[in-house]
Amino acid sequence: MTRASTARAVGATFRAAAAEAFANRASFWSQATIMILNDVAWVGFWVVFFHEVGSLRGWEADDVLLLFSVLTTAAGLVLGLLANARRIGALAGDGELDATLTLPVPPLAHLLARRVEPVHIGDTLFGIGLFALAGSPTPTRTAMFVLAAVAGAAVMVGFVVAIQSLAFFAGRNEGGDLGVHAVILLASYPAELFRGLPRAVLYSVVPAAFVSTVPATLVSDFDLTAAAGLLAAATLSVLTGWSVFTVGLRRYTSGAAWSRA
Amino acid sequence: MRGHWAVVVATAAARRTLSDRAGLAVGTLFYLLVTGVISTVWRTAAGESDTGLVAGYSAAALGWYLAASEVTAVAINPRLIEAIGEDIAGGAVESEMLRPAPVVGVRLAAALGTALPRIACCAVGGSALALATAGSPPDAAGLALAAPALVLGVACNVATQHAAAAAAFWLRDAKSAWFLYQKFVFMLGGLLLPIEVLPGWLERVATLLPFAAMAYVPGRLASGHVEPGLLLVQVGWLAVMTALAALAFARGERRLQAVGA
Repeated sequence: MTRASTARAVGATFRAAAAEAFANRASFWSQATIMILNDVAWVGFWVVFFHEVGSLRGWEADDVLLLFSVLTTAAGLVLGLLANARRIGALAGDGELDATLTLPVPPLAHLLARRVEPVHIGDTLFGIGLFALAGSPTPTRTAMFVLAAVAGAAVMVGFVVAIQSLAFFAGRNEGGDLGVHAVILLASYPAELFRGLPRAVLYSVVPAAFVSTVPATLVSDFDLTAAAGLLAAATLSVLTGWSVFTVGLRRYTSGAAWSRA
Repeated sequence: MRGHWAVVVATAAARRTLSDRAGLAVGTLFYLLVTGVISTVWRTAAGESDTGLVAGYSAAALGWYLAASEVTAVAINPRLIEAIGEDIAGGAVESEMLRPAPVVGVRLAAALGTALPRIACCAVGGSALALATAGSPPDAAGLALAAPALVLGVACNVATQHAAAAAAFWLRDAKSAWFLYQKFVFMLGGLLLPIEVLPGWLERVATLLPFAAMAYVPGRLASGHVEPGLLLVQVGWLAVMTALAALAFARGERRLQAVGA
């Protein structure tokens, strides 16, 4: 297949997945609403926190709300629109990739486009709404917010695919799930709160700082070096995810289960 | 059946948890990660405060508070409400009614038995983490009281989730309700922050609800507040929520029989 026909096929797969998720509209909106309420509770936590402590290492309530809007938007893009990213470990461990491997498209692209998760679409809707309400949107800031969220999502999807693909080697998936939880949890807090080794980890092994802190800082205070760093981190993360998946796929053994992934 | 059925069920469940060493290790790692992050945030806030206190808690007290409160969340399945709801809607509960023991009693014993090894692992790991990051426990007597408070807190949580999930007998669906329940424990239960941090009116509301018995009480005791009366509060809520769960299941089971499902 040519690149153009591959892109068309993956696009058609994604449209089908989106239509499937949206088929039961009542269910779609109830799930998305529950996630929005969940995110509102986190905003409540931060409001209470900063009401008590004022500011923390230069971060104030508005800064953290901006960070949270970037994070929820990025996480929604990954866990909502590319929902299979966090299921790769389970699919690999259970030998359920047979159907995907018969298709004339790159397996990773097909897998990522194959499932849309309504509950996490609520995250993206919430993130956009929070930015509109608390992010002081101007045309420049809005454009930066979109780019920053997409870059954060690229970092996150690369990391999630890589950590989930370790199941090809380990056979079990607990570590992959822990990795997904870890990157979301660590990205929920400004990286500046941490010092020494934990902070170094946030900029390397678990690149949570590039999912939220760096993108949010770019929205409020653009810096060319930081932007280049974010772009490099996004590229590296995506390449790492693709490489680990591709190498791991060679070790895949069928579970004789013909599933739709 | 040799021995009281509740002890037999709890012991079998505890053995199952212990046999899954990878799951236990990953759960403990996740607990240490969550506790390390949230504890860093609060200890930093206390360290930067003029008085060195947040809502009357020192950095060390906050470190021990969170080490204890987080155990109660990680030790149980966070989606227990959803799982119980699926068992009710899917018919698994009907087959459990054939046993010579109350359905809800067996389920409570199993959930508590499953949690006990996790409580032990997290408590040991959390103590080491708090010692390393926050220093010595503020009061040894308080820490000793926190041990039974952890078990009672988890028991309260399990009983309350069963009482809430019993709604599935009538609604046939408890899906996603766990998201909202979890947020009540997070905020009003004192999981992420001592309830003294909440605005006055919300703090008063929190003291009137069962959630504080789940996470706040163990945290309060571990943070050096020697208040044995809090254990009685937990016992009281445990009795109330267990009775509510038993009543709801009894009525729900009659409903299942009535429709002949």
